[in-house]
Amino acid sequence: MPTRAQLIRWGAAIALLAGYIDLVAGGLTLAPVLLVGAYFVLVPAALLAR
Amino acid sequence: MTASRTTDAPRPSYAAAAIAGALVLVLYLLTLAPTTAMWDTSEYITAAYTLGIPHPPGNPLFVLLGRVATLLPLGSVAVRVNLLAALCSAGTAAVWFLVAERVLSHWFTQRWTRLTGAAVAALLSATAFTVWNQSVVNEKVYTVSLAFFAVVSWLTVLWCDDPDGRRADRLLVLIAYLIGLGYANHPAGFLVGPAVAVAVLARRPRTVLRWRLILAAVLALGLGLTPFAVEPIRAAHHPALNEGEPTGCTTSIGVKCTFSATTVSRLMDNINRVQYAKPSLSERQAPLSAQAGMWWLYFKWQWLRDAHGGQAGPQLALALLFFALGVAGGVVHWRHDRASFWFFGPLIFTVTVALVYYMNFKYGASQSPELTGVPREVRDRDYFYLWSYSAWSVWAALGLAALWRSLAVREHREGAGHWLSTAPILLLGIFPLVGNWRDASRAGETTTREWAHDLLDSVEPYGILITLGDNDTFPLWYAQEVEGVRPDVTVAVTSLLNTDWYPRSLQRRPIVPYDPARGPAVYRARSWPRPTTPIFSLSTAQLDSVPEYVDLREPQLFQQGTLRAVVDPRRLEYGVPVRSDLLVLQLLKDNYGVRPFYIARTTGGYVQALGLEPYALMQGLVNKILTAPAPSTPDTVAVAGLGHVDIGRSLDLWRSYGGPASIIARGDWVDRPSVNIPATYIGTALILGQVLEQTGDSARAEGLRRVAVGMAQATRTLELFMGSAPPPPSAATGGDAPRSTPIPRSP
Repeated sequence: MPTRAQLIRWGAAIALLAGYIDLVAGGLTLAPVLLVGAYFVLVPAALLAR
Repeated sequence: MTASRTTDAPRPSYAAAAIAGALVLVLYLLTLAPTTAMWDTSEYITAAYTLGIPHPPGNPLFVLLGRVATLLPLGSVAVRVNLLAALCSAGTAAVWFLVAERVLSHWFTQRWTRLTGAAVAALLSATAFTVWNQSVVNEKVYTVSLAFFAVVSWLTVLWCDDPDGRRADRLLVLIAYLIGLGYANHPAGFLVGPAVAVAVLARRPRTVLRWRLILAAVLALGLGLTPFAVEPIRAAHHPALNEGEPTGCTTSIGVKCTFSATTVSRLMDNINRVQYAKPSLSERQAPLSAQAGMWWLYFKWQWLRDAHGGQAGPQLALALLFFALGVAGGVVHWRHDRASFWFFGPLIFTVTVALVYYMNFKYGASQSPELTGVPREVRDRDYFYLWSYSAWSVWAALGLAALWRSLAVREHREGAGHWLSTAPILLLGIFPLVGNWRDASRAGETTTREWAHDLLDSVEPYGILITLGDNDTFPLWYAQEVEGVRPDVTVAVTSLLNTDWYPRSLQRRPIVPYDPARGPAVYRARSWPRPTTPIFSLSTAQLDSVPEYVDLREPQLFQQGTLRAVVDPRRLEYGVPVRSDLLVLQLLKDNYGVRPFYIARTTGGYVQALGLEPYALMQGLVNKILTAPAPSTPDTVAVAGLGHVDIGRSLDLWRSYGGPASIIARGDWVDRPSVNIPATYIGTALILGQVLEQTGDSARAEGLRRVAVGMAQATRTLELFMGSAPPPPSAATGGDAPRSTPIPRSP
């Protein structure tokens, strides 16, 4: 079973990747929501998670 | 060396801080702007809404955040973005509450006294004029930056408390990440960097030897910078706002053009703000004493704005008081909480002394008005010291708390009764709230939105409108792109025509069909064929090759059809035709007889400088450039010094304008560098009144004059219009005009 920290790190990576893919495709809604969620919540949580 | 652990401090009062932040948010909501405002407000709302790229460095993180804010189901798009500013600043106040409480916990033994002192910090930091004024409208990206500044400060204070704790390293990595992320919002994100470095060296110097931690911090900082990737991606989609055009892709996004040298070069130019060509720090733009004087001028504003100079004495007294309280706060901080002082002290130094030196400003727009002929900033730059005044408020609150304590515990009588009986001294902290309310509030301010609608509606369908700078351009972008008002009009701003990317952006702009239902009634009597030709006849390569300037210093004849204009370079801003002048003439040539051509009356004497005065016909807020000299008829009357006035059209437009009522309703105009916008309305009303008087229509002339006087009284500009001659065209303030190459001045 992956740990909570691993889940958060994977979540952050997937959100960033999906956000940039949608941005490249011209997305104006999902992309910023995913990227803001990743940069402001998931990445900080991943950096603090043990 | 192992730093002493100071984690015996009580647990931070997060709930109390949240309440303080919520109360600040209520204050901001009460004074929130209902729509857009002058200067960069419209640009940033438009950038957020379109996921576009605002002026360099492009602020990609803000654009992402702003775009998410525009998705909220609350009020208008403008209100949603303004709310973002309010939320960030309210959050900042909550964080300062925590910082102040933490510092006070080292020598205030009773919790309620610590919370009271912390509340004063939140109040002062939230109601300092510039913080408050910038928090109730999203004029810049600085409130987001301020929130980063405060959060990183809080995390560093926590780290300083226990630099050898089990979470200390993770905190440092997070701090590095947030500094990078803050930089992706604005370069001010790095402001905390030097103070963090000093704190680390002071509290745990062996950190610099831990290469794995350093590497992790550098990687985290790099991760924080990755939002800059948004710029080339979005630029390749060519959004409506694509400043700097940081992409090598000309039509659509692709791998090869995105990962090209052109993209890298343009992106780096954007990030480094090359287009503004700032001088080196050794080349001072004003004496250092004057630059420090500018900081002091705006420092005085923080505690009592006094926009019209009627309370200079109380303003100075309050400034001296809050300066002294801040110094006292710094002293008690040093004495009682050395650990966090190693961060906060250098932080204050960075955002005061170092920032003044680094910003290297010219004289402020409102500074030393008795000095004539000195180079000045186009507007007051108090917002560049937002971090300075916000952080100073924390020290001022600590100073005030120390004063309170010294009164309460004198003669060793420290009881709750003494604290309570001496608490009224804290009421000093309410002065900025009371004194700044009127000038900081943006509640009910709708003039900018009305101005944008009025200016666009002054232009016939599919017309081209030449504008000068920020305030006659950005609000129009907002109206067109966010509110969908008159997107058929092509707005071409001369300050940006000097760049390479802006003409290309105009060339790409689609021809949007005119919607008569959304246009003013005055254009409904006939149909307006949609042009089919591009706005420039030139190819992209030809546009790119237009020179920065042409070294012509003698009058030149410009001819197209029946239009013959003598362009006198001596009347142009730079004494020679520069790229923007050449492109304006190119637009005039390419659209002759195809699109109506207008020059906004905010451009000052630009019509005259281009030799177009005989062809200019004033229609409300704009001058229409005719293809033949304007005729003198009962409806197009010549006015000495102004050219011809289209009475019927101007009066029809005037009746549809919302600006005058908005200006009078607001009853004040705090920002003096933008006062030429209401002055343009006032001048229009006076000219129309004069023309009606000439034609014998005294009743309507008197009505217009009354409106003009009402606006002049509201904006305190009556003295500008006291003469008997018609008012001269007023030039809008240009803003930060891009200029990458020095242009020779006329000898």
